[in-house]
Amino acid sequence: MSILTLLIFSPILFGLVILLLPTEWRNIFKHINLLATLVQLGIAVWLYINFKTGALFAGINHQGQYQFVEKLHWIGLNLGGTNRLQIDYFVGVDGISIMMLLMSSVVMVVAAISSWEINKNHKGYFALFLLLDVAITGVFCSLDFFMFYIFYELMLLPLYFLIGIWGGVRREYAAIKFFLYTLFGSVFMLLVMVGLYFSVRDPQTGNHTFNMICMMNPANYDKGSIFGILSNATLLGYPARVVGFIVLFVAFAIKVPVVPLHTWLPDAHVEAPTPVSIILAGVLLKVGGYGIIRVCFSIFPDIATSGAFWIGLLGVISILYGALNALAQRDLKRLIAYSSVSHMGFVLLGIASQTAEGMSGAMMQMVSHGFLSAMLFYLVGVIYNRVHNRDIYSFRGLGTLMPKYTVFVMVAFFASLGLPGFSAFIAEAFSLIGAFNSQAINGLLPNWMAVCGSVGILLSAAYFLWTLQRMFFGETQLKGGQIWELALTDLGKRELITLVPLALLAFALGVMPSLVFDKVNDSVLALIQFIQLK
Amino acid sequence: MITLTDFLFISAGLFCTGIFIVLSKRNAIQILIGIELIINAAILNLVAFGKYDKLNNAGQSFALFAIVLAAAAVSVALAIILNVYRQYKTIDPNKVERLKG
Amino acid sequence: METALSYTDPLIIQLAIAVVLLPFAAFLINFLLISKTSKVSGWISSLAILLSFILSAIVFFKVWDKPHDIHVQQVWFAIGNVKVQIGLWLNNLSVLMLLLVPAVALPVHIYSIAYMAGDAKYTRYFTYLSFFCFAMLALVVMDNMLLMYAFWELVGFASYLLIGFWFTRDKAVQANKKAFIMNRIGDIALLVGILMLYAHYHTFDMVKLFAGDNALANAQGVDKAWLTIPGICFLCGAIAKSAQFPLHTWLPDAMEGPTSVSALIHAATMVAAGIFLLGRVYPAFNADVLTVIAVIGCFTAFMAATIALTQNDLKRILAYSTISQLGFMMLAMGVGAYSSALFHLATHAFFKCLLFLSAGVIIHEMQHLKQKHQLNIDPQNILYMGGLRKLMPVTFITCSIAALALIGLPLTSGYLSKDGILIQAFEWAEGKGWLYSIIPIGAMLTSLLTAFYVARLMFKVFFGESRLKEFNPDIVPEAHDGSLLYQIPMMMLAACCLFPLFSFNPFFYEQAWLFKGFIASSYLERMNLYHTVVPVAVNLLIVPVIYLAYATYIKRDAHWFKQQGVLFRFSYNQWYIDSFYNKVIVKLVLLLSNLTYWLDKNVIDGLIGILANIGILLGKIAAWVDEYVIDGILHVITGIVKQGGNFVRGFQTGRVQGYLVTMLLVILVLYVLKTFI
Repeated sequence: MSILTLLIFSPILFGLVILLLPTEWRNIFKHINLLATLVQLGIAVWLYINFKTGALFAGINHQGQYQFVEKLHWIGLNLGGTNRLQIDYFVGVDGISIMMLLMSSVVMVVAAISSWEINKNHKGYFALFLLLDVAITGVFCSLDFFMFYIFYELMLLPLYFLIGIWGGVRREYAAIKFFLYTLFGSVFMLLVMVGLYFSVRDPQTGNHTFNMICMMNPANYDKGSIFGILSNATLLGYPARVVGFIVLFVAFAIKVPVVPLHTWLPDAHVEAPTPVSIILAGVLLKVGGYGIIRVCFSIFPDIATSGAFWIGLLGVISILYGALNALAQRDLKRLIAYSSVSHMGFVLLGIASQTAEGMSGAMMQMVSHGFLSAMLFYLVGVIYNRVHNRDIYSFRGLGTLMPKYTVFVMVAFFASLGLPGFSAFIAEAFSLIGAFNSQAINGLLPNWMAVCGSVGILLSAAYFLWTLQRMFFGETQLKGGQIWELALTDLGKRELITLVPLALLAFALGVMPSLVFDKVNDSVLALIQFIQLK
Repeated sequence: MITLTDFLFISAGLFCTGIFIVLSKRNAIQILIGIELIINAAILNLVAFGKYDKLNNAGQSFALFAIVLAAAAVSVALAIILNVYRQYKTIDPNKVERLKG
Repeated sequence: METALSYTDPLIIQLAIAVVLLPFAAFLINFLLISKTSKVSGWISSLAILLSFILSAIVFFKVWDKPHDIHVQQVWFAIGNVKVQIGLWLNNLSVLMLLLVPAVALPVHIYSIAYMAGDAKYTRYFTYLSFFCFAMLALVVMDNMLLMYAFWELVGFASYLLIGFWFTRDKAVQANKKAFIMNRIGDIALLVGILMLYAHYHTFDMVKLFAGDNALANAQGVDKAWLTIPGICFLCGAIAKSAQFPLHTWLPDAMEGPTSVSALIHAATMVAAGIFLLGRVYPAFNADVLTVIAVIGCFTAFMAATIALTQNDLKRILAYSTISQLGFMMLAMGVGAYSSALFHLATHAFFKCLLFLSAGVIIHEMQHLKQKHQLNIDPQNILYMGGLRKLMPVTFITCSIAALALIGLPLTSGYLSKDGILIQAFEWAEGKGWLYSIIPIGAMLTSLLTAFYVARLMFKVFFGESRLKEFNPDIVPEAHDGSLLYQIPMMMLAACCLFPLFSFNPFFYEQAWLFKGFIASSYLERMNLYHTVVPVAVNLLIVPVIYLAYATYIKRDAHWFKQQGVLFRFSYNQWYIDSFYNKVIVKLVLLLSNLTYWLDKNVIDGLIGILANIGILLGKIAAWVDEYVIDGILHVITGIVKQGGNFVRGFQTGRVQGYLVTMLLVILVLYVLKTFI
């Protein structure tokens, strides 16, 4: 059994333990849960340290260059003659997934700690939490499309219940909206997946295959198959590959989320309990970005190049539109949700540029946003737990009342608005550099996109500073008066333990971006080269 | 001279009387009597037509069998009627309607 | 370490790093170890900046006016095939700034120890202050545009913290938000410029880009368009940071911070960064951009001076005077007087810092008076001051020296630097057509206006009788110079405002040592008439201007300015620029954001909602069809069967006699049918 399998499925063991224990022991469930995520984090850190870099370990479209690979036959059916249905259990990591794994396991630990506040139906909650953990880790490791899809869908189920049962006032609405939205995207993904299956043959066995790496090589496509590069097949009057790309892109764009497919996000984030918001913003959104890189761009590189302009445009629209919307919010959580839309726009812009700088910037932004959004949502959770109110206008002068809390809010806000020294600055700067470079290198994105993207940075300063000024500065004045003043205690020890590492991580990545770039670089270069060669 | 036709007339009359009794009476025993009449009409016919078989006298033989069988049937029927009476305290077949759906 | 240029000296490099890191160390110590109100923090920060100052002086003398720049770098991280380097680039410009920053910051630190003594967040203040100095010092020595931008932003961030230091005051937090966002506008432009340069030249290294004759910027036969556009972007960055029109409105509001912070912001840190940036990337500007710089500088200088004429808030007057002086520097940059601009930056740093520190003392005393007599006055309003000359002699003398330097009278440092700019502006405009001569004339006019508002300030504050008596004749105004912790830094700065520090010849600016360090300029020769005529003319005109102010405000027999005139209101309301921004631009952005939110809620989400409703509607239709059509057909069929069954059921009476009758009838009917038909 490889280490990756252990990484993916270890939470299930803990989940089973929780399910088997009697309900009266509910108080230790959260500890078991935390232990599960810590074990996972340990494994992820081990992976990160032992991850080899160099051009020979770039991964992307070379099966042999993936690390920690495990490949087992899973489902095999003789279909008569030479045809065999072949689905493999195939996991492995390259530079792109290793960072996602590390980031997601850190975020899961944070989410596990913030699950302390859960106060109903503990058993169900933690079992679902760990199931979600399995699904997320599985998505980042899978190299077989079928497995990828299973894990991808598996994420929805626990999330639906986590939002729908433990959420806020409009939780059912939000849960259903979220579920249907994402399902809408992934159902069509299933069709494309099947289409790809029937187009691709594994060169070793001669069977049709779901192996994503085989799908990346144009030589593996059958002659005249629907997604074959040379076959010029059409679907609904459009080239089949274009349709396939768009369908996959839409599926992932919903996750990212890209304007105009983003409206599930504010509702889901606002209604979800704090730990789930953290997971949603910290990890779920990255699944979208990861999917675009791993699936859309790698399997359809030709379309990715010809469609880069539109992808970049969507990115820029997301940046500006999300930022403007954030400016109009008065619910703190909603504001942060919209800021996520804006920040994830940089990911799209960076990816669309198809330059080493842009791609690395996008990766950095995903990692950085993972930490920062976890921190932001956790901070909102802190105040919400105390007074059950998130309206920005209900608070004023919290700086005097909760000085430590204010420090962390300032760190999180300034890091998010791209203050140098924090990870988001490097990430956004390099995403934009990629966008600028693009015109000179491959001519995909015009310069004005990068300029508009930088305006997004300006707007993010506007809404974050406004919030700071409105909520934290000035004379203390609370809607709930004296009662609130007593309820709003400063950060406790457990909260500090969560926030300090996150702040330090964001800072470390800002000062030493090589922590990410070193691991990512070879894969990014290989990806860029692969896309250019098509 | 009594002709075959006379026998047939009497037999038909018996048969009709029997049918009438069977259809009109509300008493199981009376109905049974009616049935006996019908059977006797049939036996009379057998005997009457027996003149065409003087060698074997098949008509008479069948008549004898029929009489015996009728007697047996009557005894069974009477036993049923007795049991029915025990169960329902009536022997009016219209009132014995437990099987009616 | 990899070396890029020929000359490195490990000692100097280590010293330079120490200069930068000392305040950072103080910042860390104060932030992590020192308790909130402990007085130790002030001394730690001051000690750090003192050491910094000494070390920077050593670095300065080792590097200044040497033939080689010092440049070292090390790989920071690699991205793609590009290695991003982190490094130091010490040339004359940067070591001058490296010296200037601690030189001005040191008095401010000492002054702050006394000034902030009673504050509840004493340690916090020095933490921020050290961080501010660190960011500025690092900005000055960085060789890498990305890092320079990083520290550029951190300077802005530190100023954000300091302006909003008293964060319970609404005005302060409004001001720091405004400062940060307006600076962010410039920052974005700067970032775009940097990224464009990177996209085209694939390096962030400023040495490669701008230094020496082999630099990319100076290379022959290269399309310079990719240098000019970033140049304009850099200009925008400098405009925001150095508070030039149209992004100047944050600076007057930034007065909400502690006065000592204002002194630092206005002198050597924050606003100086913009001018420094222009100097650092000077080769990126072509003649047209330079003209734009000159125009912006001249206009800003003039505008700010006119506004300063009518303001009543002591600090606000000084703020506008800073904007005006920064305009002068920009103008100098624009007309090619590179060295004069930096010279003025240096001299201005000292006298502006001194003016603010004096203002701090004065405001401090006024605050005392206000509390003592429970007056409802604004302690910063000069209309309530007056007659402080005798009460605060030290402050008066130091402040006068600074004021004279600001006006630019001979024997002061300001005279040297300002005349340099004026002369070179005239030379620049010569032979370029009359339109260009607006700039030197505007500058000249501005320096006269400067003389007037400075004189007004001095007369109102120090001369005459205390205006407080108009409130309550019984008040005996008391005011003191403050302790030695106030006086020493002020006297140190006052000494720096005099000519000997910069040139041994008090009348000819050309002989200032500072010029030797910078790009050789033909303007330095006293080759034409301007060098004599301009200084003489300016000074001759300044004297009557000062007298006019004296007549207006002390003798009160000149009534040239109507207090209600259109021009007065225009100036008093700061040309309505700020109101315009608030009423138009801020409103527009908010409107836009509300619009997009409306769009989001109603159009995009509405569309999704409609889709969902269509789904529900389809579902309902399907349900109806299911219930009434598909199920209906079934119901009809079963109904028929049931009816049939019910019909036949009637025959099953259970009456054997009935059955018999039926049977007989059937037989009869069959018999009849058989027989007769």
